[in-house]
Amino acid sequence: MTFEEARDYLLQKARALGLEAEVLAIENRELTVQAHGGRVENITQATQGGVGVRVVVEGKTGYAYTEERTPEALDWVLAEAHENALLQSETGGFLPAGGELGRHDLLGEGLSAPLEQKRRAALDVELGLRADPRTRQVQMTRYAEHETQAFLGSTQGVSGAFRNGYGALMAYAVMGQGQSLKQSFELEVSKEFHALDPGRTAQEFIRKTGRLLEARPLKTGRYRAYFEPRAFGQLLAVMGMFMLSAKNVLEGKSLLAGKIGQKIASETFTLVDDPTLPGGLASRPFDAEGTPAQRTVLIEQGVLKTFLHNAETARKMGVPNTGHAWRGYKGVLGVGPSNLFVAPGQGIQMDEGIVVTDLMGLHAGANPISGEFSLQALGLKVEGGEVAYPVENFTVAGNFLELLAHITALGTELEWNPMMGIVGSPMVEVAELSFAGA
Amino acid sequence: MLAEALVEEVLQRARAGGADFAELYVERWRRRALRVLSGQVKEATSGIEYGAGLRLFYGTEVVYAYTNDLSPQGLFEVAETLVKLRGSAGQVDARGQGGLDFRRAVAQGLHAPEIPFTARDKRYRLERIREAEAGAMVGPQIKQVQTQLNEWEQEVLVATSEGVWAEDRRVRTRFYVTAIAQDASGMQTGVMGPGLSLGLELFDRYPPAEVGRRAGLQALTNLRAKPAPAGTMPVVIGNGFGGVIFHEALGHLLETTSVAKKASVLSDKLGEKVASEVVTYIDDGTTPHGWGSQEFDDEGHPTERTVLIENGVLKSYMVDRLGSLLTGYRPTGSGRRQDYTFAPTSRMRNTFIAPGTTPKEKLFEGIEFGLYAADMGGGQVRPGSGEYNFAVKEGYIIRKGRIEEPVRGAMLVGKGPESIQKIVAVSDDLETGPGMCGSLSGSLPVEVGQPHLLISEIVVGGQA
Repeated sequence: MTFEEARDYLLQKARALGLEAEVLAIENRELTVQAHGGRVENITQATQGGVGVRVVVEGKTGYAYTEERTPEALDWVLAEAHENALLQSETGGFLPAGGELGRHDLLGEGLSAPLEQKRRAALDVELGLRADPRTRQVQMTRYAEHETQAFLGSTQGVSGAFRNGYGALMAYAVMGQGQSLKQSFELEVSKEFHALDPGRTAQEFIRKTGRLLEARPLKTGRYRAYFEPRAFGQLLAVMGMFMLSAKNVLEGKSLLAGKIGQKIASETFTLVDDPTLPGGLASRPFDAEGTPAQRTVLIEQGVLKTFLHNAETARKMGVPNTGHAWRGYKGVLGVGPSNLFVAPGQGIQMDEGIVVTDLMGLHAGANPISGEFSLQALGLKVEGGEVAYPVENFTVAGNFLELLAHITALGTELEWNPMMGIVGSPMVEVAELSFAGA
Repeated sequence: MLAEALVEEVLQRARAGGADFAELYVERWRRRALRVLSGQVKEATSGIEYGAGLRLFYGTEVVYAYTNDLSPQGLFEVAETLVKLRGSAGQVDARGQGGLDFRRAVAQGLHAPEIPFTARDKRYRLERIREAEAGAMVGPQIKQVQTQLNEWEQEVLVATSEGVWAEDRRVRTRFYVTAIAQDASGMQTGVMGPGLSLGLELFDRYPPAEVGRRAGLQALTNLRAKPAPAGTMPVVIGNGFGGVIFHEALGHLLETTSVAKKASVLSDKLGEKVASEVVTYIDDGTTPHGWGSQEFDDEGHPTERTVLIENGVLKSYMVDRLGSLLTGYRPTGSGRRQDYTFAPTSRMRNTFIAPGTTPKEKLFEGIEFGLYAADMGGGQVRPGSGEYNFAVKEGYIIRKGRIEEPVRGAMLVGKGPESIQKIVAVSDDLETGPGMCGSLSGSLPVEVGQPHLLISEIVVGGQA
């Protein structure tokens, strides 16, 4: 049974049983070519996917999924989702009515290059890395591509499908100078294989990692912070996405609850989510409930305009649905951004402080419920308006909402990072943060 | 899960391009998850995951493919894909012609649950969760309690062209209680999450009300805590999940995945003193019902107890098949993967610091000003530079040898090999705790553990 046939089988069964059901079938294709030591050491290829069902019975929602696409497994899924729905104590769940959403191809033929060229690309990244004498070890370089097709359907009339994907070049290596070692990685992503450039990926790695060698300890204190786009994007992904989720607001977990219309960030700060962005890595024609995608301004010049909503959270809060329903076939209904970005500003004039180039330990050191973070960082000391030397073995700490309020300037260039969701950010200057070190 | 004749044919076809080793990994998962927020069942899910991964070795070159079409045609297609991927039109290896004589090894149920996966209805689970919630309500400041119950049952078959045939069944259960406390000063959390290779009898080992109570008390402690201080100071790390420091600062550096490529600062150091002599570090895949225990690894190799460091001297790495080919070290049953969508790599199982002899109270003596990190969150490391971090979930100031006021939001950072040398005393109260470890072959259940111990100095990231 194909994924589409599995979706149709489940909807037909649900109708026969008089159940309200929504089916999301996902089919993934993956190709990874990994090089090391001048040869391809690993190739992985796969097709894989599953079918997830959401059943609503008198406002109660239940879920189940399967990767096995036999009639027995699909019947089990429907029965299990029904039973799970009856278990729920909370009501208010519903499946939005909808119509034919069409089939959309957001990827096209961008990844159709022959395998040999992809092998070459992975090998060339390694060559580029080894060209610098400071490269001590290359753990691996990779070309990876991922393609997803989503098929959505419901007993309430929703029906649609879309395809998206990307190719990426990755470099993982260690650079050294004297006793000083730095391990890092670099990632370049595109929907067009031919837009990727192995030499550029290697150069970026060398530039970003090489500048951190022979770092000095940082003296504990309060400093002005200049977050590079990747570092700020990670913090935004962990903190901002959580706090802006209407689901978390309704569950009493967001510090932004009750703050719509209020100033929560510096006037320089505007945050947008745009699923309609042409060529966007996370663009989508409709969300996980079939709501057509639209551009949403979340924070405008520091003022909180809306949370990220799905149909259920929007109805509960009595506000318009922003079309941010998100779920995978294994998961439950949530909300999630698509191409989320901080609008670029007027530019930054550096004087004194720390350029934060990397943040580590976000999964444990950043608490989106309290808004507090204390994170391992790598960076550069800025003195007299110029980068003076790299610094290491320190942390940066603060409260995310206080950080937003103290943003003093933004860079002019937007940089997209695909590490934790698809997040775009310029360089971000924050008046003062706590740094702990020597 | 699959007929022997089919497995054999898949392995034979996969080697048609001249591969010298083929391995088929087949698994079926059943999972259940229940999330309850302040009495309301927010989400109930169930799922089946079912797939196969086929891996070929040409020397140390690896090709891997996976699918969830486990019909004969589906599996043959994967085998053909693999042969084509390598781009080799080689001939069938002579050893592949004669049929495979599988040596069947079936798990003996060393970690089998008393309460099977299918037993007890969902109401029973809900009642236990409600006990945890009630336990967490330790004060009026507790505004929300979230409890999540995860149950996994995994059936695994690994068969190889060398005749390995290993079947394992792994049942794991874990529940997390998150208490959220709030007052005018803000919102803080307390989290407890016991888990073992067991069924619902986990609730007998860890009574839900007590787990809830500890989460609630931790949230209250964090609510009245001041921001942690910033700077370099002595730190006493609590037992149990405190062991995450070694998982990050030491464990990951001993996996052949990075050792084989000299991408670990501890490569080529067998027999050398890499830690203070009070440190003995063990990775044990056989601990009965351990969160990271299993009878076979995901390459079909029996798991074992591996002494990594003995009295400060490096004794062994953690070695998978590929790591063994590349380094010559003996495989240690450490090949693990999240599921069929990953090829296995060398990974930790249940890793802990062996008990020392210093009484716990002695660790605090003589500390003028320092931090007591009583409970830990997760951490992270870059093996190539040894730079690691980990977060303190519950911390207190040590002043003149006494544990005083609570502090929150501390992150400890350092370079693994340097910090390990600064462990000056280890107590005798070993405990372990469950975690999920993310790395090259996905996210895996592992246990970390240690007794209370003292690090003479480490960077504490708090508020300056």
